[in-house]
Amino acid sequence: MYQYQDFDQRFIDERVEQYREQTERYLRGELTDEQFLQLRLRNGLYIQRLAPMLRVAIPYGTLSSRQLRALAGISRRYDKGYGHLSTRQNMQFNWPELESVPDILGDLAKVQMHAIQTSGSCIRNVTTDQFAGVADDESVDARPYCEIIRQWSSQHPEFDWLPRKFKIALNGAASDRAAIHVHDIGIRVERDTSGNMTFDFLVGGGLGRTPAIASVIRRGLPEPHLLTYLEAILRIYNRHGRRDNKYKARVKILVRAMTPEVFAERVDQEWACLKDGPSTLTAAELDHVKACFAPPGYPDRDDQTALLAEQRLKSPDFNNWVRNNVSGHKVAGYAIATLSTKYPGVPSGDVSDAQMEAVADWADEFGFGEIRISHEQNFVLPDVAQENLHALWQRAGEMALATPNAGLLTDIVCCPGGDYCSLANAKSIPIAQAIQQRYDDYDYLHDLGPIDLNISGCMNACGHHHVGHIGILGVDKKGAEFYQVSLGGDAGSDASLGRIIGPSFARDDVPRVIEQILDVYVSRRIEEEPFLSCFRRIGVQPFKERVYAGAR
Amino acid sequence: MPALVKNLEIVDDPWTLIDSSDKGDPAPGEGSILPFEHWTSRAHATTETRVRSLRSPGVGFWVDGEVDVERVRDHLDGASLVAVKFPAFADGRGLSLGVLLRSRCGFTGELRAFGDILPDLAQYLHRSGFDAFVVEDHRAAEVAIASIQSITDHYQASVLQPQPAFRRIRAGG
Repeated sequence: MYQYQDFDQRFIDERVEQYREQTERYLRGELTDEQFLQLRLRNGLYIQRLAPMLRVAIPYGTLSSRQLRALAGISRRYDKGYGHLSTRQNMQFNWPELESVPDILGDLAKVQMHAIQTSGSCIRNVTTDQFAGVADDESVDARPYCEIIRQWSSQHPEFDWLPRKFKIALNGAASDRAAIHVHDIGIRVERDTSGNMTFDFLVGGGLGRTPAIASVIRRGLPEPHLLTYLEAILRIYNRHGRRDNKYKARVKILVRAMTPEVFAERVDQEWACLKDGPSTLTAAELDHVKACFAPPGYPDRDDQTALLAEQRLKSPDFNNWVRNNVSGHKVAGYAIATLSTKYPGVPSGDVSDAQMEAVADWADEFGFGEIRISHEQNFVLPDVAQENLHALWQRAGEMALATPNAGLLTDIVCCPGGDYCSLANAKSIPIAQAIQQRYDDYDYLHDLGPIDLNISGCMNACGHHHVGHIGILGVDKKGAEFYQVSLGGDAGSDASLGRIIGPSFARDDVPRVIEQILDVYVSRRIEEEPFLSCFRRIGVQPFKERVYAGAR
Repeated sequence: MPALVKNLEIVDDPWTLIDSSDKGDPAPGEGSILPFEHWTSRAHATTETRVRSLRSPGVGFWVDGEVDVERVRDHLDGASLVAVKFPAFADGRGLSLGVLLRSRCGFTGELRAFGDILPDLAQYLHRSGFDAFVVEDHRAAEVAIASIQSITDHYQASVLQPQPAFRRIRAGG
């Protein structure tokens, strides 16, 4: 992991004091609500329906056991003993007092954490593959570049007051677990034939009101130019992005208006002036940051195929868990374990202080003290020795973190929705819970195979409904909560946006609709064909006919 | 009463901003900040006035933060001050304009921000090449100066510090 030096520590310590002074000015009445809004947003503080919400940055979803324990302590001391894993790999606290936020930030700074730019019209927390550095299908660990971008974007003098929020994601693996096609900037990191790192830049993807798949504007950018090229893109956006209508202010609208080709030309012209300037990365800097992410000294182990087979045979539950929640590791004898937060009766991503502390303990006991947060709102332990998987599974089961549903229907991605969020048109958590309660038979879930079910409580799409194989969007119909269903979205390498199947449904109808959609899939699939492939083959019509049969 | 901060000090403002609707004095003297349109028509006036304007050190113009730097670039000769208007403090276009005026156009005169300037914007202005800005009152000016000084050093390169931290700090560990 990246380790703060004196420079980094001083910066976040001073930032805490700066925010404390801003809060004090607000409380003294020297700042209007509107003025303070912009300042608090740049430090992750929203005012929600019931209370303020503080979004803490977990840079690119990586944190240490010490940091996770600190978050547990904060949830106990300043909140109601739980936190929420967001769809952008951050942790949110739903009940802090506005007055105590500077103290929370102070506690975070002690463990090299912050809430800088986790909201507001600025460059947000950079995200990547939750399996970065350990995935068996990875060619380049993107985290050093994420950290370089985190530093570059922190209080950038020119780009902290953009037309709208700006999200950057990186991926260095064959599978795209970082959803780079639906970010403002997606960066694919690759190693060329001579072993040098290069970047492909995708721009203008996004969800929200106007979902869009990003366009490639540059291929094979050499490693040292990462920041100067980013600067060129951000400058074009800052200068020319629309500011008259917040729904048309994201870079995707500018890219579409200019066309990706013209946008790329403008960026190139700007970049020509910045290229090889002082922001060009030096070998020393790249080496320094990469060294922070060097693999731990893995003790030599062999793959435990026989042992795992025996354990799986003995316990169908363990078998289910291994099948879905354990992923291949690049080092022999190790595995990656996903600890699902999706448990019946618990909102997606909600984790208690006790769960956080338990996960921190397991990270120390079964790994090298490191934890990841996935954008599917789960915990990930990246370095579990295969012989310890069974013990981990047992412990996780005692803490309601062993639901064997990673990647399955009930591993639902869900925003906080109308229960908490003041932007929401409808509640999202009860929908997720109704579906999770209805589908609690894991044999059936495994038979259904991988299905991403994503739920957002409004157009802002925090639940990423556009890229769910099944997407559910809460809408307001004359004051009543209704739900629009879309099919065929995907956030992976072959990204696509879901198609709305037709008129929206009342809340009570949603489980019935999901059941009918699954029925169509099961009856029409060919052999092991996954839901998404089946949908892409047969199209939306059979689903429509079934769901709206009898309706006029 | 608005307060001017120049080079991190609260100072009296020797300049007068001329509004674009203001027909005013056809040949405003020293210390006038003309609307950009007036400035350009003036610069394209007779050779005699042009020579005179080049000789006089104390004339400048103001532009909206959204204006293209290419439009301004050819009219910097003879301006000892350029003022950039921020229509709203959350509108960061003026920051990019400031950076470009300094780094791309090599403007070395006073670069001033005015309009809706929240004291907390001052740190960004300061690092984006603005050496002067106008805030609401004396108290806001004090807050702005303190806000600039509240962060000792930043990661990125800027107009103020052209070397990013990694070129300055890492070397020494």
